Amino acid sequence: MTDEISALTTIFTEFYYWITVVLMFLIHVGFCMYEVGASRYKHHQHTLMKNTMLIPLVTVTWFLFGWWIYFAFPTGPGIAPSIMNGSTALITDDSAFSAAFFTPTSDIMAVNLNDHITGVFWAAFLLFSWTAASIVSGAVIERITTFAFGILAIAIGSVFWSIDAAWGWHFDGWMLKILGYHDAYASGVIHAIAGGFALGVLAVLGPRIGKFSSSGEPRNIGPRNPWLVTIGLFLIYTGFWGFYAACNIPIYDVGGEGDFALGKVYLTATTIYVTPTTLGGITMNFLMSLSGGLLAGYVIAKGDPFWTYSSGLAGIICASAGNDLYHPIQSLIIGMIGVVIAYKMHYWVERKFKIDDAVGAVAVHGYAGFVGLIICGFVLNGYPSSGYSVGAMFDGSTYATINPLGQFLGALIMFFVLGMFPGYVIAKVLHGMGKLRIPREVELAGLDYETMEAAKEDEKAVASSSR
Amino acid sequence: MATVTNWIEHLSADEPAGAVYPGVGSEGILVLVLVVIWIGWTVISAKQESDKLQKLARRRPGPNDWKNNVTDG
Repeated sequence: MTDEISALTTIFTEFYYWITVVLMFLIHVGFCMYEVGASRYKHHQHTLMKNTMLIPLVTVTWFLFGWWIYFAFPTGPGIAPSIMNGSTALITDDSAFSAAFFTPTSDIMAVNLNDHITGVFWAAFLLFSWTAASIVSGAVIERITTFAFGILAIAIGSVFWSIDAAWGWHFDGWMLKILGYHDAYASGVIHAIAGGFALGVLAVLGPRIGKFSSSGEPRNIGPRNPWLVTIGLFLIYTGFWGFYAACNIPIYDVGGEGDFALGKVYLTATTIYVTPTTLGGITMNFLMSLSGGLLAGYVIAKGDPFWTYSSGLAGIICASAGNDLYHPIQSLIIGMIGVVIAYKMHYWVERKFKIDDAVGAVAVHGYAGFVGLIICGFVLNGYPSSGYSVGAMFDGSTYATINPLGQFLGALIMFFVLGMFPGYVIAKVLHGMGKLRIPREVELAGLDYETMEAAKEDEKAVASSSR
Repeated sequence: MATVTNWIEHLSADEPAGAVYPGVGSEGILVLVLVVIWIGWTVISAKQESDKLQKLARRRPGPNDWKNNVTDG
């Protein structure tokens, strides 16, 4: 960088994303605390370890192929042509933003004095990947093997969420062009897909021993440490705030880009779709949708702390698809609607299909995200889905406007096609290998049994030496 | 191994090279090493976990036995 303005813009952008990455780490800290708080004493350490080990597994695979998938798959392949090279094939040529630049052997995937942005952008997306995998982690506690969870975490964190991001979150994604899909802060791209994936896994994994009576009535296995659950969820809220900032481009000249062609410089923050928004506006919406979720959750759960705190998160998730443009009061109301539907759906699915979702992850992330996408289609009906050429639905060469049908189809793709179906199939394969679930005896004894026993022996030894 | 041995010379070039990490050009080998670490870790840790679970399952501790192992205090 040889001139001060471009250097300031570049370093500001680099620092901006770096801050969001650090903030988003709190999401994972929060998930760990939340899950441990929700698990029973005899499973605490295994629960924590399982969620911790997804960090290296998803990071390594995100470096190896997850990041490449995001840049290779916006066209489908074979569904809509790229605006960068006009082809519907995987984008692996030498056009701008091609996956060819983001292979693990690329020299910009390291310290590179000519590229300050790739590293922080890679890291921001990686933190999204951790979140997708961590959402699944909570649902399956106390009975899944660490091996199986590791495979599932890689599948959702480095493969399927990466494909959905290429399809519905990349500025060149086919879902924007064909469907007019809009999901600014990831109601579907992170939450609906991860919730759907968790549901697919749970259908194969089965409930915890004792969750259902012999007549099929569900029993409540409530959180063992409500304080840890509370702090965990508050940390997730905080990290989610950073996530919102990470989904934006902090400063961008839309005047010289895409279909705006303003003939002048117009600098603004934009969404990932290069459509204008403001950091201030989305902060208001974040807080109002959080508030809507808490208000609705408190009433519908009759003051139950576990569901009330989770509902705050569900409120944000439901409004996230359109929180770049909603009025704050719209955000609040949408958050409330999402919470009521997610809560009701959780208990209906639990009773009807005997699904044991230990932390309500499918409801809070999956159902709330799904509903949020559909509501966005009605409330933002007619807005451009992208900063580029506005066109008709199913045309493919231009970008369709946001519409209810496109959002509904998008929600189905996120929750079922890229979420639930792959989760179910991979869990079936792991189950067939006998690697999915821990032995019944271990589940009853507790996954931490040996660790606790060893700690007791250590304590005995220390006590006897100090007599 | 060093890609840069003189910063003044490196940055004075008309178009300074961006990649400055050790071993520029050997990225393929590094990626191969990473794949081996990842797969190797998965195989070893899976076996460790499987052995541990089977060993504990054979002992058949009762559902409340863990309470005897609580060390708090």
